[in-house]
Amino acid sequence: MLFFSFFKTLTNQTVTIELKNDIRIRGILKSVDQYLNIKLDDIEVLDLDKYPHLSSVKNMFIRGSVVRYVMLPRSEVDVGLLEDATRREAANQAGKAR
Amino acid sequence: MTTRELPFIDFEDTYDGLGDQLDDDQDAFNDDTFGGGGPAGPSSGAVGKDFDFFGKTATVADAIGEEQIRYALQNPQAVPVAGQQVQPAAQPEPAFSKRSGYEKYSDPGFIPDLQAKSSVWGVSQKKPEPMPMSMPAMSAARKMMSLDEVEAQMQMRNQGYQPSPVPQAMHPHLADPSAYMRHPQNIPLPDGFPTIPPRGHASTARKRWPSPGDASPPLPGCRKCMAPPPGIPGMPPHLMQGNHPPQNMPPQVPPPTSRGPNGGLPVITDPQQLVHLTEEQRNAYLVEDAKRAKRNHKIFLLSRGNGLMTPQDKNFITRIQLQQLVAAAGNVADSDPEAVLAEDFYYQVYSQIRGAPRQHPHQPLGHFAQTYLLQTGNRIGGHGNRRAFHSADNHMQRMQQQVQRAVEAAKAKPKNKQLIIEGSLGKISFSNAKAPKPMLNIKRPDSSEGPRPKKLHSDLSLSDRKSILTNIEGVYSGLMSMEDMERHSRIFRHIDQEQRVTILTMIVVHLDSLDVVHLAQPVPGEAQLSVAMRESIDLFSLAVMPSLLGYVNEAPFNIIIGLLGLVIAQTHVQTVARTKVGLGILTMLLSRAEIVKEAGQASEVDWQQWVAKFNVLFDTLEPALADIFTSSINSGDDMYVWQFLAAVGIGASPEQQQRLVIAVKDRVMETVAYSKTLPADMASSRLGNVNLFMRAIGLDVELLG
Repeated sequence: MLFFSFFKTLTNQTVTIELKNDIRIRGILKSVDQYLNIKLDDIEVLDLDKYPHLSSVKNMFIRGSVVRYVMLPRSEVDVGLLEDATRREAANQAGKAR
Repeated sequence: MTTRELPFIDFEDTYDGLGDQLDDDQDAFNDDTFGGGGPAGPSSGAVGKDFDFFGKTATVADAIGEEQIRYALQNPQAVPVAGQQVQPAAQPEPAFSKRSGYEKYSDPGFIPDLQAKSSVWGVSQKKPEPMPMSMPAMSAARKMMSLDEVEAQMQMRNQGYQPSPVPQAMHPHLADPSAYMRHPQNIPLPDGFPTIPPRGHASTARKRWPSPGDASPPLPGCRKCMAPPPGIPGMPPHLMQGNHPPQNMPPQVPPPTSRGPNGGLPVITDPQQLVHLTEEQRNAYLVEDAKRAKRNHKIFLLSRGNGLMTPQDKNFITRIQLQQLVAAAGNVADSDPEAVLAEDFYYQVYSQIRGAPRQHPHQPLGHFAQTYLLQTGNRIGGHGNRRAFHSADNHMQRMQQQVQRAVEAAKAKPKNKQLIIEGSLGKISFSNAKAPKPMLNIKRPDSSEGPRPKKLHSDLSLSDRKSILTNIEGVYSGLMSMEDMERHSRIFRHIDQEQRVTILTMIVVHLDSLDVVHLAQPVPGEAQLSVAMRESIDLFSLAVMPSLLGYVNEAPFNIIIGLLGLVIAQTHVQTVARTKVGLGILTMLLSRAEIVKEAGQASEVDWQQWVAKFNVLFDTLEPALADIFTSSINSGDDMYVWQFLAAVGIGASPEQQQRLVIAVKDRVMETVAYSKTLPADMASSRLGNVNLFMRAIGLDVELLG
C-alpha cells in the first residue's frame, strides 16, 4: 500500500506518465486506486506528432499495469517521510511474513 | 407443408422478409392449391363445418412428430425453459405447479412473432390444412403456448373482445406438443368438427369461461371427446388476461394490443377477420406487421439474455462484488486509526504536515460500499416498486447484513494465498484490491532457517557495509517506535477541559518548584546553564508550552485572572521571572488578557480585577526587572524577555511604562549599541526584538538612533 499511499498525496499535481509502449503523457493526477490505476486530467501527450490519434484526448484513465514510470514534481515529495514510510512498510511486511 | 413450417421453427429465421414479399393480390391460385371456392370465410365453402380435421391431420402426424424433434434439437434451450413456465392460475395443472424466478422473463419477444405469422395466415386464409400443421410447430416455437390458450383467445376475438395479448402464459403440460400431436388418433373427433380446427378446441375454453356473447354453441360431440376438466362457471372472459403474468410485469415489449396505429386493426389470427378488411387496411396491416416483426426481432436479439439471471442471481453477484469492495478497504475503514496509519502512513502523515487534506477520493471504499447499499435501498424504495415495496426494503437490509457478515467471515478466515488443486499443473492465486495478485511466488525461507545464515553473516563481517546499514536501520526503527510512543503521550489534546484547567493550574502553582524553573536559576559566575538543563528547558518549551498556550488562548478571562493571582500568591515571582519558562507563562497570560481586552470580551468587573492583579505583579517585578536578562548581551538569547516586556508594556499604565523604561533602559541602549557592531541581518533581528518592546510602549528604536 506504500505506493498507493504515496501517489494519493500527489493528486492534483502535474505528473508525467510513461507507458510501457513509450507514450508519455503529462497531466493532472486526479486519482489513483489500489491497483495504481490512474486518472489524468488536462493531458498533454509528449511527442504528439508520433501519436496524432491522441491529439483530441483531454483526459484519460490508465490501467496501472501499463505504466512504466511516473515522473513527479520533486517539491511535492517529502523524502524523509517517504523513507520512514518505506521502513514502516518493510516492518509491516516482515511482521506479516512471520 | 414442412417447408412452410421451417420459418416458424427457429425464431431467428422467422423474420426473413416474408412479410414484405407478401402480396395480397396473388391469391389467384389459392383455389387451385386448396381446392376451395373463392375468398369465403372458414365457415363457408369447401372448408366447412364438416371438415375432417383430425382425419387429415392424422395423415401427417408422423411428419409433425419429426418436426418436433428437429425443433427440439435446434432449440435445445427452449424446452427446458418452457418447462418452468408459470401455471396460469385459472387452469390448475398439478404436474407443473412449481414457480421459478423466470415468470417475469417468459419471453415477450415471441408474442409479436405470432402476429407476424398471423399475417401469413391472413394471406393463406383458405388453407385449412396447413393450420393444424403449423399450430403445433408454432406452439413449439412459441415456447409451448398451449392450444387451449390460443383457442380461448381466438374465441374471445370472435366474440368481439379486444384482442388480448397472444397467450404468454404457457402450458407446461404442453411443453412437448409432439406428445400431444403424435397421437391424434387417440382423440377421436367427430366429423362435425368446426372448420377452423382450433375452434374445436375453443369449445373447451368456451366451456371453461362461458361468455354471454358466445353465439355458436359448443358441439356436444366435441365436449365429450375432449373430456375437459370441470368448468369454472361464471368466470368472466376478461379474467383470461389475468392469466398472463408477463403483463403484470414491467414489459420489455409493449403488449401487442397497444401497439401504434395498428391498435385499431385486430390482430389477425382468425382468417375471418382479414376477409372483412378493405384492401388499404390489409396493406396497411401488412406494412405494419412487417415493421413490427422487424422491431420485435431486434428486441428479441437484444433480449436474448433476458431471464438468464434471476433477480436472486443478480443480487448474489452484487453481493460478491460488494464483499470484494468492503473486504478490500473495510479493514482499513473499520479498524482503529493505528491500523490506518500502518497501512497508509505516508499519506496520513503527509496530509497532516501539509495541512488540511485536499479534495481527495479520500473516503475509504468501505464507506462507498455502505453508501451504495443505502442509496440502492432508497432508490428501490423511493421509486415505489409497485410490486414489493417492503420486500425490497427488507431485501436491502438483508443484503447489508449479509455483506457485513461476509466481511467478518473474510476477516476471520485465515488467509490462504493460493490454491493448488490436486493433479493440476498450476496454482490459483487469490487476490483482492488490497493485495493484488502477486506476479512472483517466492518462497520465503522458514523462520527456523532464516536467522541462522544472517547471524553467521553479521558475525563474520561486522564492519561491512550491510551490517552498518542494518544498524542504522535499527536506530531508525527505534526512533520510529519512539515516535509512536510520543503519539500516545501527547495526552493533552485528548483530555477534557476540566482536566486541562487542573493541569495548567498545577503547573502554574508549582511554577517555581518545577525543575525547569527551580534548577534554571542562573548561577553567578557562569555564563550559561548546563547543557542538560538547557535541553530540558527546550523540551519543556516544545512539548508543554504549545499545549498550554493552545488552551490559554481559548480560556475564559476569569481563569486567566485566577492563574495570574496564583502566580503572584503562590510563587516567588522574582525567581520565576528569571527563567525562560516562567517568563513564557507570564507572557502567555499577559498577552491573552490583552487580547481579551482588545476584543472587548472582558467585563468591567473582570478588568478591574485584572488591573489590580497586574499592578501587584508589576510592583513585585519592578526591582527584579534588571535581572530578568539572565544571559549576557552577546548571547542573543533574549527574545523571550523582550516579548515579556512587550506584554507587560502593553498592559501597563503610562506611569508604569515609564518605570519599565527606566528599569530596562540600560539594556535597550546596550543592545542598540551592540547591534551596530553586528552584521546587518543579525543586527536587524536584535533590534527587532527590542522594537517589539519599544513599540508596545509607543516608542521605536529609530528614535534612539
